[in-house]
This record gives sequence, structure tokens and C-alpha cells, in this order.
Amino acid sequence: MTTAEALVWMAEMFEEPKGNITAGTARADIAAWDSLGQLILMSALDQQFGIRLTQAELSSLASVQDVLDILARHERLQG
Amino acid sequence: MTAGERSFLDFGGRLVVVTGASSGLGRACAGVLSEHGARILLVGRDPATLAATQRGLSGEGHEILVLDLNHLDRIGPEIARVAGQVGRVYGLCHAAGVVETRPLSVTTSDVVQQMMTVNLLAGIELARAVARRDVMDQDGGSLVFLSSIYGRVGVAGETGYSATKGAVAAAVRSMAIELARRRVRVNAISPGLVLTPMTDSALGTLSREHVAAIEQKHPLGLGTPADVARAALFLLSPATAWITGIDLVVDGGYSAQ
Repeated sequence: MTTAEALVWMAEMFEEPKGNITAGTARADIAAWDSLGQLILMSALDQQFGIRLTQAELSSLASVQDVLDILARHERLQG
Repeated sequence: MTAGERSFLDFGGRLVVVTGASSGLGRACAGVLSEHGARILLVGRDPATLAATQRGLSGEGHEILVLDLNHLDRIGPEIARVAGQVGRVYGLCHAAGVVETRPLSVTTSDVVQQMMTVNLLAGIELARAVARRDVMDQDGGSLVFLSSIYGRVGVAGETGYSATKGAVAAAVRSMAIELARRRVRVNAISPGLVLTPMTDSALGTLSREHVAAIEQKHPLGLGTPADVARAALFLLSPATAWITGIDLVVDGGYSAQ
């Protein structure tokens, strides 16, 4: 998955228009990324990428870049 | 209708998705909602009967979506596609339903699954599709699901149907809690026996004595689709903005006994 594709994936997941989410978008600026949004993200990372986050990792996510970093760390991101 | 009543229930062109819109409760709900200024997205399997419903609606801006709700994976993409064309959705009235009246001994899992798919799972898929932030009106909305009095009281021959309808009312309560923060209301209606093509078909499998016994359990007699449609109109109306998570019984007194 490219970074551009990952941004589209996150926009779809959080029900935002595609252009609304960039690497620099903060969690606080995404309405659906609340406590339930955390569960959506956790479930999506597990089901689609086989990435299981610890509670500490999940709680530390504060931006779209943080999610991209996790994808990269698990070798799910190219370019 | 007085001006006061009109303003209380006016939908002001808001778009409401109505399933089962080809006949029965869905058609009645679409009709009464259109009379109060809603635009309707009519969902059903048969283009000809949907078109007949559409011709009977008041006002303009109504659309048809031919969709078999048994195909659960098509619901989200189709709702998103149509919403992209006609605008954001305010409401949902899930009136489509399946009933198979059978004694327990022949209530096989595939029979139950068939009812579960349309009565419950399609409803949840519809809620997921309609309540998306990029689909629903940004001011919130209202979802109504047709449950049944048989989800509350037992009756011979309806084990599967009762299970699906009880599950609908239970799911409605949790959806109501989850979506409240976005001003999206979720409610159920539990009708008693209403004469529709679906119930006509179900009653046709029963003896005359059995049908008479069912009728006698409704102190106000059997219901009409309009009786239920007016309840849906009330719950869907923007004016009932503080009602969520309820299961409104509309049963002619059946369950008061």
C-alpha cells in the first residue's frame, strides 16, 4: 500500500471526504476518531493488515502520521 | 390538515430511504412521508411496483433504487452511490420484511436465516450505510425500524420471525445510544397484525379459526398500513428530536391484555 492509498483508506474508515485527510491531520481534527473510532481503527488494522496493537500503542496515536508509522513499521507501506 | 399540524411534521424536502417500498407498510410509509414534504428514496426488488409507488407519492424529487436486500454486500455501495447523486440522507424507514409462519418442528435454520437476513442484518447494513458521516445530513437524522409485537409476545408458529423482530428492537437500543452524540435518533415500531400482502400470504397458511383467534386478540381490530405509517411519520419527524431508543407499540391493544 502506498502512502496515498493509506490516506484514502483512513478517509474511508473515518467517513471523511478523501482530500480531508493528510499525513499531518491530527486525531482531534477527525470527528469520527473518538473512542469508538479507536475501536474501528484497531479492528481495521487487525483485519486488513494483521497488525494487533497493544492498548499503550493504541492510546499513543495522535495523528494520521502515527498510523502511517505503524503501517511502515509492519512493512505494510511502500514509498 | 391545519397549518400547525403541517409545520409540526414538515420534512422540508429531507431525503428518507424507505425499504419494502413496493407494497404494504413500506408503500404506506413512503406515501405519508411524501405528504409531509419528504423526498423518498424507494428501495425494493421490483422496478415496476416501485414505479407504481412513486407515481402515488406527493411532491417531487423521489428516486428509485432497485436492490435485493438479501445481497447484504451491495447495500452500502448502492446507498453511497445514490446519495452521491441525489444528496445527503436524513432518514431511514426499514419496512422490508420476511415472515415464514411454521411450527417449531419445521423451523429449520435456513428458514430462520432467510428472515434474519432481511429483517435484521439488512437493517443493520442500511443503518451503517445511511448513518455514515459522508452520507447523512450533518445536522443528524432519524432511523426507524419495523419490529413486531411478536418480538415481545409469544405466538405459535412464529419462533423464527419473533427472534428476528426481537433482535431488531434490541439492536435499535444500542444504535440509539451509539449514534446519539451525532444527533442521529434510532427507534423501532412494533405493530400488531396489519393487513398487507405479506401478512395476507402468511394468514393464508392458517386455518380460518386460527385467523379469527388472532383477530380477536386485537381489541381495536386488525391494523391498516396507514396506522403504522403515521407512527413512522411521527418518529422520523425532525420535530420528535428528543425521542430515541424506543419501541413504539402500535397494535390495537393486543399487548395490553
